[in-house]
Amino acid sequence: MEALFAIAIGTLTSCAVYLLLRARTFPVLLGLTLLSYAVNLFLFASGRLVVASAPLTDQGIEHFPDPLPQALVLTAIVIGFGMTALLVVLALRAIHATGGDHVDGGER
Amino acid sequence: MLNHAIDIAFGLLGLAVVFTLIRLALGPDMLDRVLALDTLYVNSAAMLVLYGLELGTGRYYEAALLIAMLGFVTTVVLSKYITRGDVIE
Amino acid sequence: MLLSIVILIPLLGAWLPTALSRALGVDPARTAAALAATSLALILSQAPDVLAGATLVSGWSWIPTAGLNATFRLDGFGLLFALLILGIGLLVILYARYYLSPEESKERFYGLLLLFMGAMLGVVLAENLLLLVTFWELTSLSSFLLIGFWRHDADARRGARLALMVTGAGGLALLAGVLLIGHVVGSFELSRVLAAGPVIKAHPLYETMLVLVLLGAFTKSAQFPFHFWLPHAMAAPTPVSAYLHSATMVKAGIFLLGRLFPAFAGTETWFYIVSGVGLTTQLFAAYVALFRHDLKGLLAYSTVSHLGLITLLFGFGTPAGAVAAVFHTINHAVFKASLFMAAGIVDHETGTRDMRRLSGLARFMPWTAALATIAAGAMAGVPLLNGFLSKEMFFAETLQVQWLGSRYWVLPLAATLASVFTVAYSTRFVHDVFFGPPPQGLARVPHEPPRWMKVPVEILVGLCLLVGLLPALIVDPLLRAAGGAVLQGPLPEYSLALWHGFNLPVLMSGVALTGGAIIYFARRYYFGLHGYRQQRYDGRTLAEGLVALAVAGSRRLVDGVANASLQRYVLLLLLATLGVGLVGARGLSLAPIAALTPPDALAVALTAALAIAAIAATALHTQRLLALVLIGVVGLVVSLVFVRFSAPDLALTQLLVEIVTVLLLLLALYFMPAESPRESSRFRRVRDTMVAVAVGLGAGLLAWALLTRPFSTIAWYYLEHAKPQGGGYNVVNVILVDFRGFDTLGEITVLGIAAVAILALLQELRLVAPQRDWDGRPWAVERHPLMLRVLARPLLPLALLVSVYLFLRGHNAPGGGFIAGLVTGTAILLQYVAYGSDWARERLPWNYSTAIALGLLLATATGLASWAFGAPFLTSTFGYLHWPVVGEFELASAMVFDLGIYVVVVGVVMVIVGRLGALSGSGGRGT
Repeated sequence: MEALFAIAIGTLTSCAVYLLLRARTFPVLLGLTLLSYAVNLFLFASGRLVVASAPLTDQGIEHFPDPLPQALVLTAIVIGFGMTALLVVLALRAIHATGGDHVDGGER
Repeated sequence: MLNHAIDIAFGLLGLAVVFTLIRLALGPDMLDRVLALDTLYVNSAAMLVLYGLELGTGRYYEAALLIAMLGFVTTVVLSKYITRGDVIE
Repeated sequence: MLLSIVILIPLLGAWLPTALSRALGVDPARTAAALAATSLALILSQAPDVLAGATLVSGWSWIPTAGLNATFRLDGFGLLFALLILGIGLLVILYARYYLSPEESKERFYGLLLLFMGAMLGVVLAENLLLLVTFWELTSLSSFLLIGFWRHDADARRGARLALMVTGAGGLALLAGVLLIGHVVGSFELSRVLAAGPVIKAHPLYETMLVLVLLGAFTKSAQFPFHFWLPHAMAAPTPVSAYLHSATMVKAGIFLLGRLFPAFAGTETWFYIVSGVGLTTQLFAAYVALFRHDLKGLLAYSTVSHLGLITLLFGFGTPAGAVAAVFHTINHAVFKASLFMAAGIVDHETGTRDMRRLSGLARFMPWTAALATIAAGAMAGVPLLNGFLSKEMFFAETLQVQWLGSRYWVLPLAATLASVFTVAYSTRFVHDVFFGPPPQGLARVPHEPPRWMKVPVEILVGLCLLVGLLPALIVDPLLRAAGGAVLQGPLPEYSLALWHGFNLPVLMSGVALTGGAIIYFARRYYFGLHGYRQQRYDGRTLAEGLVALAVAGSRRLVDGVANASLQRYVLLLLLATLGVGLVGARGLSLAPIAALTPPDALAVALTAALAIAAIAATALHTQRLLALVLIGVVGLVVSLVFVRFSAPDLALTQLLVEIVTVLLLLLALYFMPAESPRESSRFRRVRDTMVAVAVGLGAGLLAWALLTRPFSTIAWYYLEHAKPQGGGYNVVNVILVDFRGFDTLGEITVLGIAAVAILALLQELRLVAPQRDWDGRPWAVERHPLMLRVLARPLLPLALLVSVYLFLRGHNAPGGGFIAGLVTGTAILLQYVAYGSDWARERLPWNYSTAIALGLLLATATGLASWAFGAPFLTSTFGYLHWPVVGEFELASAMVFDLGIYVVVVGVVMVIVGRLGALSGSGGRGT
């Protein structure tokens, strides 16, 4: 299970990095979205993998997942959305200013 | 008995997901792919319910509920984009 | 306590001259004088104890973990300097009142002067070495401002910059040295450091510390080869030169040598470095001073030379040498300040400081001439004046030095030679200016300056005479206390008598006086030799060249790295991360240490789906819509992963954010080309793939290493206390709104800031909307399909109901403010999509940016409310309520906080997506 999780994180990161290195804003935005998935999964993994449970204490289940990384990741997801939105608007602003969607604000 | 039923259902759902993914990959049209995504959402909702049945807990039903209620929003905005370009007019 | 007040009066009072002058019309000089006099009186009240040999240490700890304490110390040495700073400071305040012309800002001048005075007092009264360094830098800064007082003068600005550069760099070296001292001694308190001399001297880092500290001292005291800033600092107003650049600030380096004398002095390294630099400086500067035509230039080099002499005396490392150094410090401050003031008077009255144009002024200003002559005599070491006494001690000391062995004659010879030049330039200062034929071509006829402008000079010259005639009575107690404090031990035998019988020092004095006179009167010959070399002795060219070189180098480096290409930056960043990761991962074993969980079919399927979708999205990224759909698949799978690994809250959040993100990216895509051109070269694609694979491999291995290490967690604390203390079964939600509520408050604030930034960016943004789709077909005619409208409308109340449900039970089951807010936001957005933003805004006329502010206020107010009950910020409480139909219901104050989160999230989603959607609204209005 751990190996599968690590493979998932690695694959997501690879794809994200490749997209981040593209010259157009839209792929870079997609890359950032993928990267935030990868980072969130990684943070989540720091609480280890617990199957078929939940951080709810109303029923006395024996094994619990770690709630702290979950709380961290929850806000990270929402903040990630805010960041993506900001970059989307920046990209639009760049189109407005330069007339193109090249990340460097012009053709090179 | 129930366990077997659940296993079989999982198998069938898995098959459905695979077919959907193939449709997603092959297309041929963008509309096929959007529909594939929509189907994927539906399959996910079904899988969540099934998973809850298997574990005997209702904790994942909210996720299924949300997919059922709002999952189609993605399909809607994609269709809107394809037909009108502008999602919010 | 008292000592800190002594420092704070001028430091904090620096704004008073301006304030009182503006408000009440009080003469700023009076304000400054009153403040300085108060500090002086406070110091004098402690003087009897200190003169009796006491060391007063007081203060309080400030940042104890860093060893930084606000501790102060008053001993004989500190007292001596405090008296010089405040006494001469008072005289300079008086003098400057007449020196500055009426149109110059006296308020600014006195404010800066007080600032400097406070900083300088801080240096000499600090007990903590870090505090000393802080004040030390403050003197550099205030000196910079004072040198550049005449802002319109380019020379003044350059001189100020040069001084700041040299002394500031020295200050950094000193800081490094002091940190090392603290490391070696284990404390920054002077009392401990001075007592730890043997430890410091035996430490392997001794040379390093010594050099660093000396760099600080030498730059400040203008020792060769750092002397060049001082002559350029003469662009300052003359009172500043008299105060900072002869009597006090340049003496800070001397002070440091004396202060750390017990800790560092007495080794061979100390002798060779300190006395070597001192001797070179003394000889070289005395020689150069003779050939300066500017009065202040001559005095500047003379100051450098005398500072060299004092440094040389400390360099001997002997108790008697140290006492002589302290004595000469006093004498030099007194006569040099008066000489600067006299030069200022000449400048003030004649309009020039060029000795080639000045002549015979004695007949116009006989009293000033007499004062200047006496002061110059003291500088030259004429008997019956104070300079003679310390010079005799100096000569006597040069004869005692043991280190040089058979070449013992070098030091006395060089000292005599330097004194010959001293006598020569002193004679020149007096003879060129005040004697000879009447001056030609002066702008105005000179006359005696105002009465009170001469008083400070008279007082200082009077001191020269009194010390010279009655040393034992006037200066001995202070010298004894100061010397004792420098040595931190018994004083050597010394005598301040005028006449010790005919001995070698007297002979050396005689040689110096005669030789100096001969050189001066044969000056025509020498001047002819050196006239053309005037400007060559200048380190400024070198310093400014170095700066230009550094600037050019940095520019080249920046141009090379920062080519304004995001791709380049990201690549460099990733490579650097890889490099750091590789270094950090050396020797890391990948063998699992903790027990592994077995994989199952579901996990394999999820991973496969995730990987395939992500890779497909990347491979097909040029077809943007398709890539976006695939990203949507990835997001869906990620939320299923969260479900599988027991995180229902995360699954819900991920699901909703995914929906909104797709909407957001589609809105942006409308204004962008539908496909990316395949413009990257093959090389670049291959390179990027390699980098991506490497980074992904690194991330995967890191995740693997993390997952296979033993696990220790503090989760049990939260799990145990969530119900009893936070009142909720859903531990994730309790952490968010209760245990770590402060973090969450920060996070929703960040969200709010992002929304505000987006609003600002969207202002007046106009974009051209495409008229046809990517295949060139016209858009569909129907704007708001009937099916969608019918479906969307009843969904809103349903979704709101679900929101309330998720919100209310969020404390005990998956849900909460974040999730409920996202549900509400998505549902409202659907109305926007189905009916258009104009229609939706008309029916839901809320101002969402206000909602963000209200939500933040609500959350903060919940936190503040706990103060009212004497509990820390954001302490939560809860109770149970019996509702008629619903039954037992739990009410927690954290719920109000959660409500704040809810409102912020709804507001942020609506502000971001709603405004972005309105961008293309009817007629493309960009509101």
